[in-house]
Amino acid sequence: MRAILKIALGIIAAIGGFLDIGDLVFTTQAGALFRYDLLWAVVLGVVGIAVYAEMSGRVAAVSGRPVFDVIRMRMGFGMGLAALIASTIVNVLTLAAELGGIAIVLELLFDAPYSMFVVAAAIALVGIVALLPFGGIERFFGYGGLLLLVVVATVFHQNPDWGEVGRGFIPSIDSSTLYLYFVVGVFAAALMPYEVHFYSSGAIEERWTEENLKENRLNAIVGYGVGGILAVGLVIVSGFLFHPLGVEPDNLGTVALPMQGAFGETGLLLALGGMLFCVGGAAIDSSFAASYNLAQFLGWEWGRYQGPRKAPRFTASWLVFLLLGIAIAQSGINPVDITEYSVVLAVVALPLTYLPVLLIAGDRSFMDRYANGRVASFLGWLYFAVIVVLALAAIPLLLATNAGGG
Amino acid sequence: MKAEGDIYVVHRLLDEQICDSEGKRVGRVDDIELSGDPPRITALLVGEGLYPRRLPRSLARLARRISGPEVWGKNALRIPWEEVDELTSTVKLRKKAEELGLGLGDDPDRWIVRRLPWN
Repeated sequence: MRAILKIALGIIAAIGGFLDIGDLVFTTQAGALFRYDLLWAVVLGVVGIAVYAEMSGRVAAVSGRPVFDVIRMRMGFGMGLAALIASTIVNVLTLAAELGGIAIVLELLFDAPYSMFVVAAAIALVGIVALLPFGGIERFFGYGGLLLLVVVATVFHQNPDWGEVGRGFIPSIDSSTLYLYFVVGVFAAALMPYEVHFYSSGAIEERWTEENLKENRLNAIVGYGVGGILAVGLVIVSGFLFHPLGVEPDNLGTVALPMQGAFGETGLLLALGGMLFCVGGAAIDSSFAASYNLAQFLGWEWGRYQGPRKAPRFTASWLVFLLLGIAIAQSGINPVDITEYSVVLAVVALPLTYLPVLLIAGDRSFMDRYANGRVASFLGWLYFAVIVVLALAAIPLLLATNAGGG
Repeated sequence: MKAEGDIYVVHRLLDEQICDSEGKRVGRVDDIELSGDPPRITALLVGEGLYPRRLPRSLARLARRISGPEVWGKNALRIPWEEVDELTSTVKLRKKAEELGLGLGDDPDRWIVRRLPWN
């Protein structure tokens, strides 16, 4: 019974921890620009991250290898180093965007300047990492993120034309480059590579073994699945409210406005509070991901569970990445712009992360009877094909659309 | 599995994580020394000084400039194959890291962060 409760608590945290600033920005903009037309791309992304998170968690639990272990082993030193450099750039940019996001939300909640809040946010994150054990950190942000369930309530309160919403789940291709740019963005925001870097390393932090495979699968399917409902909800509430008005949200605060429209100040506070936890959790995940990757690639001791005495290089690198994130967030670039660049650049780094995971997960010499079955294999390669196509399309689309600016 | 018999060297050994006898992560198998005929593995080579030789020639020169030359015993270590205890998901050594000169980078005395107030 206690085991079931523990698994349930983990899954609930996964639901709350699903969204990050990339999802918030891209889903809201997608709704405003294309109403419900991109819902299918959200679902495509959610299934993709569930497939790869399950695979990377299974590899970590069974073979004891987190993602960057696997990357260096399967891609060798040279390509592995390329993957490390690309992932680190994307992770630090993502971290900067999340820190900026925290600061924007705090700025809206309390009246003080943005730059002060970036530093305050980073100090708060260090404090939380210092005080809570690994599992506690995840749950703290995961549960807080559940405040965003107000998005689902808002959908029902708005009561949109359900037929029109339903048609959004049927894939449609619009030839405009802006539409294609948002297909890539919405998809990539769901599949950010730091999520699997963090998830698989977290499995090692929590000492997962084969016995945790059921938990791993439920986390991926239920946790990410229900988390994905929040992303779908964000597209719908934004499409319902902003599309008819022709508003183009370029401010993170806009994400919360539909909830204010539905439930007044309570709705606004719940939405901003939920966003704060989601973005804060993602700042932890992306900063840890950067350090996990570096330490794993170079063979250093690593892990929150080791503490700064046993893993000093890992801890020091985490603080350095945090400082870099602060510096970028303080540079005066709009965090929404940083987000867009980090998400689109992430697509380019995705194949380098996901191919090695796919290769090891299907390799019986490492995974024995836990190797990919037919379904995981089929979905894995299907998504890998999609990722490669999008990776090739991402940069031209970014340039052609002026980062979604039209 | 004991550390003998045939293994696919590149598949199962090169680039693997190395842990010492106490389970501490102390580096990766950056290169492998083979000798004899037929060739047998005689040592694992570990250290950042070896990174340039793992890169394509065009990048190796740049990397050499950054990492400096290979200095055996310093940035390039030779771990005799006899010191390898087991090959599991890591390469487990028979001795503690210090006895083999490994893991110095994670020596807490070199780092101020060891004073941070979380375990």
